[in-house]
Amino acid sequence: MKKTILNWPLSMLLSVGFLLAASLYSLGSGSSDITLKDVIPTLLKGSGTPEFSILFDIRIPRILLGFAVGGSLSLAGVILQGMFRNPLVEPYTLGISGGAALGVALCIILGLHRVFPDLAMPLFGFIGAFAVALPISLINIRKGMVKTEGLLLTGVMISYISSSIVTLILAISSTEDLQGIIFWIMGSLEEPSWLLISIVLFISLICLVLSYIFSLDLNALALGEEEAIHLGVNVERAKKILFLIASVLTGVSVSIAGIIGFVGLVVPHFVRMLAGYDHRVLLVMSFITGAGFLIFCDTLARTIISPVELPVGVITGILGGSLFVYALGRRFLK
Amino acid sequence: MQRHVITALFIVLYACSGLFILSAPCTGEPAAKNVPHRIISLGPAITEALYFLGVEDRVVGVTTYCQKPPEAAKKEKIGTIIEINTEKIINLRPDLVIGTGLTNSKDIKKLKNLGINVVTFDISKDFDRLCQIFLDLGKLVGKEEQARTMIAESRKKIVKTQKKVENLPRKKVFVQLGSKPLFAVTRDYFINDLIEFAGGVNIFKDAKSGLISREEVVRRNPDILIITTMGIAGEKEQKSWQQYKTINAVKNKHIYLVDSDKICSPTPVSFVELLEEIVKILHPEAFEG
Repeated sequence: MKKTILNWPLSMLLSVGFLLAASLYSLGSGSSDITLKDVIPTLLKGSGTPEFSILFDIRIPRILLGFAVGGSLSLAGVILQGMFRNPLVEPYTLGISGGAALGVALCIILGLHRVFPDLAMPLFGFIGAFAVALPISLINIRKGMVKTEGLLLTGVMISYISSSIVTLILAISSTEDLQGIIFWIMGSLEEPSWLLISIVLFISLICLVLSYIFSLDLNALALGEEEAIHLGVNVERAKKILFLIASVLTGVSVSIAGIIGFVGLVVPHFVRMLAGYDHRVLLVMSFITGAGFLIFCDTLARTIISPVELPVGVITGILGGSLFVYALGRRFLK
Repeated sequence: MQRHVITALFIVLYACSGLFILSAPCTGEPAAKNVPHRIISLGPAITEALYFLGVEDRVVGVTTYCQKPPEAAKKEKIGTIIEINTEKIINLRPDLVIGTGLTNSKDIKKLKNLGINVVTFDISKDFDRLCQIFLDLGKLVGKEEQARTMIAESRKKIVKTQKKVENLPRKKVFVQLGSKPLFAVTRDYFINDLIEFAGGVNIFKDAKSGLISREEVVRRNPDILIITTMGIAGEKEQKSWQQYKTINAVKNKHIYLVDSDKICSPTPVSFVELLEEIVKILHPEAFEG
């Protein structure tokens, strides 16, 4: 095991602190000048005021969804990077998001989002994600063995195929449909339905608990599959279940919030730099840090050139990427 | 990045896709006496129409794209056409928000959930629709009479123009909306009406999608080529057509640039102004007499 910068309780404390700070920052900033000091009096005044609805109906839902989606994507990233022992894997590498995008695009051009306005798009996104994840696993499961490299390569190929089909759909669709698909691809934490937000929250936390059960298996897998088998880990079962968890996490996040890049790639690396390679810490801490990171980025996206809102993926890409390159550089200098 | 190209294309398309069809408002329309006093417009065409109807004092918020008339640009901004800032909108306490087919449906839903009266207009495809929208907008803000009068005047002018050109030879016209990818006006754009009223034939009226090949333009051989200026791209496009010597429009130097802001401001009033411009391009002889 490599030496870590901090011991794990301290780094855990740090990430929880970051999450709280990001949430409070988000709660206290926006285009209207409601700041943190106004939050308590506004809530005491009760509903009915525009301030109350801005806090309760606009900022808080976004914070909650940011928490769930940021957490899910980072968690999926950690699981997949650990499973494939490949630092460049992220939730989107496996084509799950491409499949979700394809599902949504189909749903829009078939006009189904007009028939069931609230649920059709997330549902189709989710179905699309799974329609892609299943073939990937099936193609690569032979005689109960999961071929890890095959899984990765098939995923990448399928992801290219789906994104090409989405572009094809964009090329032949009408203007109205075009905008629906574009919105979705740009990714956003804007979600009017409390029901969907609660579903995502619930699923992300359930998956966190489930993946924690496999944290020791992930630790063993990090040594290589042969070693993991010698350590008595049921490698094939663990891989199947972990892949399923990662697919559910990615599919759910993508179908609600669209494609928000970089969170699942960068956050796990950061957390490893801080807290080391033990998945018992890594899983939980990545979830918390990813949640904080996405909430923070979304707040920047909302406020940086107000009143215009930037797509949150722009901020996660620029901020996450640059911070990461900087941190990596520092590390090699040592 | 493909995605950015598509987004850019889509904004241009939107701009040129004319007005919107009124989708049935979910919330009850205000009664005649009870007109809205704090209106927020989420599209340039809507803002312009509101100014034409003379209710500009009641407009409290517009998008950053609303530059016509120039006074509109001074209003409070609530975001772009596609990215609106719900927080800002709530803060302005509007009693009517008028959205477009491009407004994010999630944002609309959110505003409706908060009890704000939101009416959406979808993208329209011809002049009749354009008038219908203008009228609906008039009803919405309590200016029905004015809207009717303006529409009637516009129709009169159009009939007059059509009389002028009806016996003149019909020229084949190609209107280009985008350059990369090449994008033509099909039946789905109000510009198609513009060409036909002006006594021309739109060579891509039958195309399913505006994405067409240069080869096809050469084959269909338009007499007139109209390029909507997409910034500097219009000039470049004009040059690039020069190498296709077989096209009549190139041979006879009938390539024209039309300001995309003009071609994309679809209210009945501006439609008529634009029509006159197109007639001058197609049939200069109609005005020399």
